Amino acid sequence: MLSKSTGPRYVKSLLILIPLFVTIFYISLTNGTFDLTINDVIHTLLRINPVPAHDLVLFDYRLPRIVVASLVGLGLGIAGAVIQGITKNGLADPGILGINAGAGAAIVLFLFFFHEQFGSFSVLMQPLFGLIGGLVAAVIIYLLAWKNGRIDTQRLILTGIAISSGFGALAMYLSLKMKASDFEMATVWTTGSVYNANWQSILAMLPWFLLIIPIYRKSYLLDLFQLEESSLKSLGVSIEKEKAILLLSSIGLVSACVSVSGGIGFIGLMGPHIAKQLVGLQHRYIMPICGVIGMILVVASDFIAKNLFSPAEISVGIIISIIGVPYFLYLLLKARS
Amino acid sequence: MSILRVENAEARYEGHIIFENLCLDVIKGKITTIIGPNGCGKSTLLKTMGRILKPKVGKVYLQEQDINTLPTQEIAKRLTLLPQNPVAPGELEVEELISYGRYPHRKNISKLTTEDKEKIEWALEITHILPYRNRPLGSLSGGQRQKVWLAMALAQDTTVLLLDEPTTYLDLAHQLDVLQIVENLNQHHQCTVVMVLHDINHAARFSHEIVGMRDGNIIATGSPDEMITVDILKQIFHIDARIMVDPFNGSPVCFGYESALAEEGLELLTKKENVAT
Repeated sequence: MLSKSTGPRYVKSLLILIPLFVTIFYISLTNGTFDLTINDVIHTLLRINPVPAHDLVLFDYRLPRIVVASLVGLGLGIAGAVIQGITKNGLADPGILGINAGAGAAIVLFLFFFHEQFGSFSVLMQPLFGLIGGLVAAVIIYLLAWKNGRIDTQRLILTGIAISSGFGALAMYLSLKMKASDFEMATVWTTGSVYNANWQSILAMLPWFLLIIPIYRKSYLLDLFQLEESSLKSLGVSIEKEKAILLLSSIGLVSACVSVSGGIGFIGLMGPHIAKQLVGLQHRYIMPICGVIGMILVVASDFIAKNLFSPAEISVGIIISIIGVPYFLYLLLKARS
Repeated sequence: MSILRVENAEARYEGHIIFENLCLDVIKGKITTIIGPNGCGKSTLLKTMGRILKPKVGKVYLQEQDINTLPTQEIAKRLTLLPQNPVAPGELEVEELISYGRYPHRKNISKLTTEDKEKIEWALEITHILPYRNRPLGSLSGGQRQKVWLAMALAQDTTVLLLDEPTTYLDLAHQLDVLQIVENLNQHHQCTVVMVLHDINHAARFSHEIVGMRDGNIIATGSPDEMITVDILKQIFHIDARIMVDPFNGSPVCFGYESALAEEGLELLTKKENVAT
């Protein structure tokens, strides 16, 4: 807030990251099994001599998918910054902690029991169920990782992994009992993919992104959360209340993402870490940078996932894990030394 | 007049009673120092007064108001506690950390007001850390860092200042430095100070009032002259102290001591105590 050096660093970082994102967005939009030129894209968007084939590629396939990938990256990146901030733990990530898996399992549960009843309305209901699942996971982790009035780092990671595989197994079990068509949908949640993105799912996600507003308004509190509990209390911070608001909002955000893309891990891990290297410790700078990094990571990974073995697709979650796992191990080793 | 009052407080840690039925009046505008052996409950008492710990039984009153009924942010405008070994990320800059002290007064969270900036400036100045204002915390020595933490507490602009062993781990010069800052705050800025100190000579020199604790009980309270005596130090620390008056400022000084227990052939008890601590 006072620092003279971080302001310019923030602007500089955005000036590099945003064009990078636009470039990746553009490449994803124009390249693929069916290549489009920039003219085709502009003509299609501005409705000048529209070609039905271009319309189909752009509006039904590529654009919704890129938009979903961007939103998921944005949401997971920001949620990661919040969760790392309140747990004071650089290894915390909604994926590793099992919040993704909890949300995913709840959504599969919902699909299993209620999919038929709600019909097309069910897409809108999914984030809500995801929220419940995410909350259940968060509460369990909180209870198990709590030791002597604080969250123990090792317990946090260990319970996270346990919760994650537990909920993953539940989701898998339910998926196996589903009809073949539902099963295909359900497997998406366990690996993480944006391939079934459509405008309806974007509509279901968008309202949840309003949660970014209260989160961003509390970014200053996340700076304070870098201090110990007794210092925070002395400063007059209502710790448990503020933690609950921040955690709840970020789980809401994660659930909205998971309901469309399934469990994509590591974004919330890598985003904040890279952002801190770029802009320092102030969360009002870290958060937007995290969001943009998340967008770049997911859109780029989805492009790779889609085209690497084209026409076969790998799920975007796997591509991100290929980068994320070594990154996680690197952070783990660094934390130990 | 009492500004902070503890009434029949009971504190427990993991089921063990640290103290019970404890009462203490802190006089407004004075420096009160709590002394006592390790594990006697002095830090716990300080934390209870600073609402870091909630007493199981009993009440704490700040300016005659029950601390439990006041919003925590309101308390933070009147009282601050500097914990024993506060930690913050090493990359954090000095001025940034001090600005955190303005939190309870801030309405507009995104921008510091002129008043905020003035208070930060004042805190930097009074603790003599202006030269390091833009340095990361990790690059400072222990003594410098302790002054930065003190400055953060001061930026909070409270009338009551609670300090938990503010001189531990500091060299002699820095210990004196920190205590002289505290003295200055008390004399010129109407700060009521309650601190925990291990050095009884520092306690004697810088306090108006000394509170002596042992095993969760307050053994005695009084002025340094009343408290730094052979008899009372024996009760508090189980030592036979040799005391004289410092000709420099007239405060009592303990210049040497022996264990009172060894003398009485109670080595066993000492051993037990060592195990307990």
